[in-house]
Amino acid sequence: MSRLAPVVIDNGTGFTKMGFAGNSDPSFIQPTVIATRDRGSAAKGPSVPSKPSFLNTSSSSNLASKRGIEDLDFYIGDEAVANSKTYALNYPIRHGQIDNWDHMERYWEQSIFKYLRCEPEDHYFLLTEPPLNAPENRENTAEIMFESFNIQGLYIAVQAVLALAASWTSNKVSEQSLTGTVIDSGDGVTHVIPVAEGYVIGSSIKSVPIAGRDLTSFVQNLLRERGESMIPAEDSMTVAQRIKEQYSYVCPDIVKEFKKYDQEGDKYFKKYDGVHSVTGQPYSVDVGFERFLAPEIFFNPEIASSDYLTPLPEVVDTVVQTSPIDVRRGLYKNIVLSGGSTMFENFGKRLQRDIKRIADARIRRSEILSGGSMRSTPMEVNVISHKFQRYAVWFGGSLLASTPEFYSYCHTKAEYDEIGPSICRHNRVFGTLG
Amino acid sequence: MILLDYHNRIIEDTLKARFNPENKPKLVDMSIVDFDGVSYHISTLENQETKLLLSIRWKCWPELIQYGAESVLKREYSQWITQPEVGYDFSLLFDLENIGADPEDVIRKVSLLKRNAMAAPFERAFDAQALAEKEEQWDPTTSQLMTIHYREGESIFIQNQQDRVTVIFSTLFKEETDRIFGKVFLQEFVDARRKPHLQHAPQVIYSHREPPLEIRHLPGLEDSESMGYITFVLFPRHFVSGQVREETISRIQIFRDYLHYHIKCSKAYMHSRMRARVSDFLKVLNRAKPEHHAVEKKLASGRAFRRT
Repeated sequence: MSRLAPVVIDNGTGFTKMGFAGNSDPSFIQPTVIATRDRGSAAKGPSVPSKPSFLNTSSSSNLASKRGIEDLDFYIGDEAVANSKTYALNYPIRHGQIDNWDHMERYWEQSIFKYLRCEPEDHYFLLTEPPLNAPENRENTAEIMFESFNIQGLYIAVQAVLALAASWTSNKVSEQSLTGTVIDSGDGVTHVIPVAEGYVIGSSIKSVPIAGRDLTSFVQNLLRERGESMIPAEDSMTVAQRIKEQYSYVCPDIVKEFKKYDQEGDKYFKKYDGVHSVTGQPYSVDVGFERFLAPEIFFNPEIASSDYLTPLPEVVDTVVQTSPIDVRRGLYKNIVLSGGSTMFENFGKRLQRDIKRIADARIRRSEILSGGSMRSTPMEVNVISHKFQRYAVWFGGSLLASTPEFYSYCHTKAEYDEIGPSICRHNRVFGTLG
Repeated sequence: MILLDYHNRIIEDTLKARFNPENKPKLVDMSIVDFDGVSYHISTLENQETKLLLSIRWKCWPELIQYGAESVLKREYSQWITQPEVGYDFSLLFDLENIGADPEDVIRKVSLLKRNAMAAPFERAFDAQALAEKEEQWDPTTSQLMTIHYREGESIFIQNQQDRVTVIFSTLFKEETDRIFGKVFLQEFVDARRKPHLQHAPQVIYSHREPPLEIRHLPGLEDSESMGYITFVLFPRHFVSGQVREETISRIQIFRDYLHYHIKCSKAYMHSRMRARVSDFLKVLNRAKPEHHAVEKKLASGRAFRRT
């Protein structure tokens, strides 16, 4: 029997992308949220019980104290959000790391059987992990996957590395190298991760607290302050999000852009048409400066927040400068974008220009300091955008899992049974402990 | 979610997006799978973005055709059937500009493709039983035993008799733990049926390793510890034409996946209990740490000696 396509699941903090290897888009993209019957931690009993806690079962709202079929009474993803009135929402992943294994196990259970509809015993799986994931987490994942689901084989890949692999589809990339800087900007947080030959340089990772959600609320604020009274209050978040996704772009120079808007307003001002979700009344909203101001907060954070002030190009530069000196050229040469918040028009171009400026200035300064006796070759800075950017991590996984070598990188069930979960500490792609 | 859906969600979502006239036609090329080793391929024809081709591949397809799947598929999908794509068993072709029926209806039908193909042998058995019932002298040798090897090492056997239809699943548990869970689960099935309000449910018999009499004569039955046989006895009231019959077929054909899904769910439940217990034990252990007694020690001279 020919092998069935491996399953690729990318569990992110905000959204889970899942599908089968070989496809260019994930089959499902839905929030990583699970709706259960228990009312969260608020209903827990007193913190210091008078007798050992395993004797009093009443204070625990844990699933383990339930009988019957309560453990099957839950929803995941969009259905969970739709049922949030009667169920308690739980986010099993926090800051990219799995926080609640009970919920995660059930999340996978339903993802596999209800959404992907595959028998896990027939498939290989590719899962993702954030950079610097603790090996214990990896072992736990392997334990669930092999013992609950009896999967045939498992490979756990680092998200940043998959994002690098996904960039090979871009025509700007000449060689398939696993060295580069990944800028991963999703809904909650933006990470800048240097990768050298497939290894994540953990000590140099930097994160920026600006991401999709902040951009949306920034647009929402602009609209509110301008007095766009047509937007129904309950929809203002979604309207802001739509405007951000449809009309925003990155401008080369903010002052010139303002001037352009003042002179030829008709050409640049847009209108957003929406329909009131309750009354069905149509309304329209003017879209103005927020078109270029929203993504601008990556480059000039001071326009949106007062406590985080480092622009993204500077962060990228710092990341590369703190990495080992022999990989720095490679890191500048291959800066890869990943995640939905990097999708803005001209985002890559602007980033490339700004980073190049910083790098060139540094080279010039060192030339001057050396008194003109030293000449360095100019730094090559490349920011790579490609059309799979939004789900770059998933797509990279799909690409990797559809190669015939994938099966030889996987840890199989037989090996797991022989050695135990610790096999997941070892990564075969790199040979040694990885 | 106690029951599994009968339809394929990915097909449903894809077709919904493609059939929606607001979405621009675009190139599609995706291969997906379903339970029991079914593969689908959804693609647009070359240079024709409005022509959508959906193909299915299934190991037991020739057997299904032999048991009359063709007529069932013709009944459901007549206007879209096309020459099967290379490497696949059966293909449907849709023209997005002219779907030819209510899109909602088409989507529902197409997402049930696997179920409908599987329905053929059941329908044949039900019809044969209905005929046999009318005859006064029924010749037992006319009863047909249909075997569908729908998975590697696992089969469904369907046999029609004069007053009933017997459906037997052979199932293989790859894992020791699964086998035990499965056994408990299936015995529970048998017990649950004794309850008064479930008297009308089909009879369920579970046997471990030992094949039931109906199929014992068949060659090639694997004899191993991990084999199990589940027999459903369906009486005519379970397959009255119409809604009841469709529902019965749908339920039975998803049974194996349902069983394995619930074994996995039970394991997940066990794991969450284990985690809870471990964290409770850890609390107890933490409390049991010896307390540090801060007894003041004095030097011979009478001065206090403090350890910092």
